[in-house]
Amino acid sequence: MICIIALIVFSILGIFSATHRVLAKEALDCVFRRVTLRPCNTGFNEKIKSQLVARLLNRSVFAARIFNKYFEVFSWAFLILMVASTFWVVKGGYNYYLYGSCNGLNQSGFCAFDPKGENNKVTEINVQCPEVEKKEENVTLDNVDLSSFPTKNIGSKNTVVLIGCYECDYTRKAYPDIQKLVKEQKTNYTFAHYPAKETTNYLSEIGYCVYKEYGERFWQFNDYLFTVDKVAIYGKDYMERILDNFEFDVNKINQCLNNSETVDAVEYQLEQLQKTHLYGTPTVFINGKAFVGPKPYRVYRTEIKKFIIF
Amino acid sequence: MLNYEKIKNDFPLLSKQINDKKIIYFDSSCMSLKPRQVIEAMNEYYFEFPACAGRSSHRLGELVTKKIKGARQAVARFINADEQEIVFTRNTTEGINLLANSLDLRNGDLVLTTDKEHNSNLIPWQVLIKKKGIRHEIVKSNDDSVFNFEKYKELVRGVKLVSMVHTSNLDGATIPAKEIIKIAHENGALVFLDAAQSAPHKKIDVRDLDVDFMAFSGHKMLGPTGTGVFYGKYNLLEKLEPFMVGGDTVEYSTYTDHKMLQSPEKFEAGLQDYAGIIGLGEAIKYLEAIGFDNIREQELKLNRYITEEISKFPKIKIIGPSDSALRSGIISFYIDGTDMHQTTLILDEMSNVMIRSGQHCVHSWFNDRKIKNSARVSLYFYNTMDEAKIFIETFNKIIKIL
Ligand SMILES: Cc1ncc(COP(=O)(O)O)c(C=O)c1O
Repeated sequence: MICIIALIVFSILGIFSATHRVLAKEALDCVFRRVTLRPCNTGFNEKIKSQLVARLLNRSVFAARIFNKYFEVFSWAFLILMVASTFWVVKGGYNYYLYGSCNGLNQSGFCAFDPKGENNKVTEINVQCPEVEKKEENVTLDNVDLSSFPTKNIGSKNTVVLIGCYECDYTRKAYPDIQKLVKEQKTNYTFAHYPAKETTNYLSEIGYCVYKEYGERFWQFNDYLFTVDKVAIYGKDYMERILDNFEFDVNKINQCLNNSETVDAVEYQLEQLQKTHLYGTPTVFINGKAFVGPKPYRVYRTEIKKFIIF
Repeated sequence: MLNYEKIKNDFPLLSKQINDKKIIYFDSSCMSLKPRQVIEAMNEYYFEFPACAGRSSHRLGELVTKKIKGARQAVARFINADEQEIVFTRNTTEGINLLANSLDLRNGDLVLTTDKEHNSNLIPWQVLIKKKGIRHEIVKSNDDSVFNFEKYKELVRGVKLVSMVHTSNLDGATIPAKEIIKIAHENGALVFLDAAQSAPHKKIDVRDLDVDFMAFSGHKMLGPTGTGVFYGKYNLLEKLEPFMVGGDTVEYSTYTDHKMLQSPEKFEAGLQDYAGIIGLGEAIKYLEAIGFDNIREQELKLNRYITEEISKFPKIKIIGPSDSALRSGIISFYIDGTDMHQTTLILDEMSNVMIRSGQHCVHSWFNDRKIKNSARVSLYFYNTMDEAKIFIETFNKIIKIL
């Protein structure tokens, strides 16, 4: 039995160290001999046991005696711990691959692959007296009306919704990946600006008007706002020049901005976004599933091209 | 007196360390260490004259022939035999097989052995029981593991061959060979001695013993691995039919016939291990220079100390005579119901003490007594009291967990 335990233990340790790989080979030989009903020719179990007992014996006779006596029990316990921890490591790796965090989607506990938790960071938004707790499982698109937000590729099978803020670093990090995803997978795509920072709150209305007046041409403008240096969008003063550069009619946009309908519409949009119970930007919904924080590209992609085990 | 500094210098392993600790080699019954002189003699063959002996008449060939002759003379002198009585083999086992297959043993012939034979002096006879219908009897030792002479005298009547281990590798006990041989001859029996464990540790005079055949291994007496010697009285060797024949065993051949060479050539078929044989010659010179009195004195001293120390634990049982002086350099011990492999592995792990555990190729003895196995310390002259003390110190710890 010990050789099977040893095989498993040393195979796992062997992934990391060459000496354990040799032991794993020896254990395999031992298992093979046992399977073919011959004794281990290596005295393998005794060898392992003796090495451990010898080390203990140099420190404490009592510990060595106990260990020697209950070796089989210890090895079972060790095996169980080892298999369990391996399971968690594998699961962590799998989660990391799939969701960009070891602990599952949007879970921010420690993850060795992403020690700083970059994949879960968001720009927090302050909603006064939120009706539900700020928790990722509460984030939803249910009963949220997104019809007035810029949308493209209507009629595609998969839908992507990006709620972000122009000035926020984490949204800016996620932005190129979302564009790539939409382009590669040809998904239905809705963009919603969430005014998370005061200096750029005014852009909600500008975006609304550009989309209203110019439709498809909005997307280029949107790309620009996300890629240009942040300072360039801090104030309304720069905006006219930008609009002009895009050959948008500044007067027309100004008219739209001054229209009370616009104010109502943008307010309505904000209400709708708050109904998602989001707690930070970026929040991305792929086919209704929320991804909070900038995830690696593969995470978004696998949500569309699925392979899920756990 | 042994000059330990010189010995240490001669045996490279004695200065080696594992994990910053000296290696303590207590397994010389299985394989002895080799001095520099032996290794260098072998290297000299490979570097300087790596040619055939006895065949080629060029200068290199002549030189090898001379060296092999020199080694044969050294072996002959070592056991007080004639040069033609020395047959080089690979080991003791080959010597015994040579005898078993060459001696004219027939259906019903009786072979007598002790109850402590190494498999090498048991299996060949068991095979002949099946093949030729010979018979095999065993002289059981006394309770104190000493040779039972009375029993032997009873059993030796009508025996064709007495084939016995001279010094046992199981417990180090030596049989009274001279008396055994005398009585065997009185009863018309031939005698073979398995000297694998005696030749390295004591002076053997085949003339004085009047033994008919004998075999021993070079690698247990400082020689290279895969070297051995088979001795036979010349007139008896002449009568033996070699069981392995071919090149180097015949004077000439025609398409239909051949003429065999005389002993020892007729037994040495094919090219030999010349480097090994030259190394063996060198090992013998080294042993002679050390002297068997010194060897025995050192072994006795260490054996006595270790025996006394481990006997302090009542659960330890030493195989063989309780008097350490009767056990050569061997201390073989066990604890009832305990697998001794663990002890040896821990000794190695903790203090680099290398001893052997198992049934030491004497399975029959262990199986008969239902003893699992034993741990065996086997000493040689290059072992020291300091080493023995480290062994005991470590053992005293291990025994607490057994
Ligand atoms: C008493 C005895 N006989 C025979 C042998 C066999 O020797 P070899 O293996 O060199 O043929 C040994 C080896 O341990 C031995 O101790």
